[in-house]
Amino acid sequence: MLGPNTLLALPESVSRNGAIPALEVVNLWKKYGTNQALSGTSFSVAPGERLALLGPNGAGKTTLVRSMCGRVRPDDGQILLFGCSIREPNVLQQLGVVPQDLAIYLDLTAKENLECFGQLHGLRSRKLKERVAWALKWIGLEDRANELTSRFSGGMKRRVNIACGVLHRPSILLLDEPTVGVDPQSRQRIFDMLDELSQQGTCIVLTTHHLDEAETRSDRIVIVDHGKVVADGPIDELIANTIGVRREVIVETEGIMVAAPPGMEWDAARNRFTCYVDNVVEELPHILDRIQRVGGTIRDLEVHQPNLHHVFLHLTGKELRE
Amino acid sequence: MIWTIIQTSWRRLKNNRSELLLTFLVPIVFFSIFAVIFGSRDSASLTPKIKVAISNQWPNELADRTVALLREQKTLRLTASTPRTASQSTDSISVTRESAEDLVRRGMVSAAVVFVKPSPDLALNGTAQVEVLSDSFDQIASQVLTAVVQKALMTATAEIAKLQTTRSRDDGVALAGYTNSIRPAMIATQPPMISSIDILGGKKTNPVIAMYAAGIAVMFLLFSATTASGSLLEERENSTLDRLLCSRLTMDQLLLGKWSFLTMIGFVQMTLMFIWGAIVFGIDLRHHIEGFIAMTLVTAGAASSFALMLASLCKSRMQLGWVSTIVILTMSALGGSMVPRYLMSETIQNAGLWTFNAWALDGYNKIFWRELQLRDVGLELVVLTASGFVFIVAARVFAIRWERA
Repeated sequence: MLGPNTLLALPESVSRNGAIPALEVVNLWKKYGTNQALSGTSFSVAPGERLALLGPNGAGKTTLVRSMCGRVRPDDGQILLFGCSIREPNVLQQLGVVPQDLAIYLDLTAKENLECFGQLHGLRSRKLKERVAWALKWIGLEDRANELTSRFSGGMKRRVNIACGVLHRPSILLLDEPTVGVDPQSRQRIFDMLDELSQQGTCIVLTTHHLDEAETRSDRIVIVDHGKVVADGPIDELIANTIGVRREVIVETEGIMVAAPPGMEWDAARNRFTCYVDNVVEELPHILDRIQRVGGTIRDLEVHQPNLHHVFLHLTGKELRE
Repeated sequence: MIWTIIQTSWRRLKNNRSELLLTFLVPIVFFSIFAVIFGSRDSASLTPKIKVAISNQWPNELADRTVALLREQKTLRLTASTPRTASQSTDSISVTRESAEDLVRRGMVSAAVVFVKPSPDLALNGTAQVEVLSDSFDQIASQVLTAVVQKALMTATAEIAKLQTTRSRDDGVALAGYTNSIRPAMIATQPPMISSIDILGGKKTNPVIAMYAAGIAVMFLLFSATTASGSLLEERENSTLDRLLCSRLTMDQLLLGKWSFLTMIGFVQMTLMFIWGAIVFGIDLRHHIEGFIAMTLVTAGAASSFALMLASLCKSRMQLGWVSTIVILTMSALGGSMVPRYLMSETIQNAGLWTFNAWALDGYNKIFWRELQLRDVGLELVVLTASGFVFIVAARVFAIRWERA
């Protein structure tokens, strides 16, 4: 086993200048019985990058995440961490894993949990003590370090769950829905913690169903569906490449209209016109004018910028997957 | 409202296969198992036979005839007896009183019958003596054997008396005319005295407790080890196992770590129980400490391996709960933790040897009851160690499915 001082050492062939991806998933295939969970999934994450991995239920996300941490053996393809296969000895030590479930011992205190997982990652004596103290401070539970985690709130348990995955200073942190079931304050706290890690150079791979989290807390987004990567890039790029950058304009009216103006969708039930424009400043006055000409009195106006939600539904469809 | 609760409860039960089995099937399974174990004693072929050694220190017509009658008894199995003739010595073991006592002490036989050669004074007085050397561990065997020996002696005495009467008529010789040289034959016509000697339990302050302490301890050792091994399934269910195996920990280390912990806890559990037994019920732990430590270590180790095997075989804690309950209670019943094995039929007794309860109890029995040395429980130690090894290897094999899907 490696000593605490060698814990962060990378393989000699690995450089961290960004030339070699921190994480590289190459043509991954996995089949469970007749269910093809992964069908040639490929993507990579640069060192220090924050990547959000999205996908509807059953898209293959869990299989992908479990493959990345070595818990699922793919039928084909490979996963590289800083250029080294995860099957090579000690390579997985560069990975920190935070499962969706509360993978902590609820009958241990926060400090005891941290000590346990720190030791299992090779931390000993002074180094372990330092890292546990850091983690308790990081998650804001210094004053409750010796309390059983079973008595903690959901948000506090989540924070301990995350801390157990980062004690050994992993270069890549893999988080599977880290904020599921927590209140907005705890979510904010968790993302502040992750931002702190990111600023220190930790590469963060996050799976979530909160699209707003993915949009605001990641540098790049990968959308997986039917075991394949269907979109990969920064949010602006995804929007531009899928539904375009046109703004959605919704005008709510009252009064009796003769007919809908050309180029507009008319929702009679809610008295709403919808249209898409490239330049809001130039086109909006004309739109309003056209509505008034057909007898509509404008009551409200909304202008929507396309976001990840639109992209996600555009790429994966609106039908239920379960 | 009440109907809704009943309806919902039934639907929940119907949809939960484990609970359904536990509610309706397991009681029938248990009943069947116990019926087989304890209910087969009426069957002649399955009736337990008492293993008996016979030592004939005073061969004469009465003793020979009594031994012959004892041989015909279906309830007895003569495993060793003094050869009557040279030709019989090939399939019989020559048994002295000392060796018969040793056989009883070691548990090789349940009891021994010794035809004691009377001293010259006694011979002159015309009294013969038969000793039944018993082991009060098997409380039934000594009583049954005493009765059977008594019956055989009475029958033999009557037969010989009848024969002598016929001879005396034929010879026309008055009984008063017998000389000392033919006196033994006369003695045989009088019912000899039967004395029952408890070889092992006589000096013990509380003989029953020493027998049952191990039985209860082993059964609860299994239950607590299995419950504790359920942590493995809990870790799998809440993804802690994923996290553990993503660290430097390997499955081998995880299983060995859990095994070591369970073994230590089991050892302490058994030790506390025996210390309590020593303080409150007078179990002589102090003089058997060496054998106790050896037996407890291997028993706790085997129980831990068994518990981990069950845990790695099951899919959930609930499944482990009901599987372990069935298996442990069955093993405990067969192995003698609940009812002494000597009460069971021979078939079931032999089946019990497939449970490690039986081997553990035999080992403790030899140490505490028979007061044998550590070397005398060698077989038990080997069997328990080997079974522990097999169980842990099986657990490791079953756990492969958790390593990588």
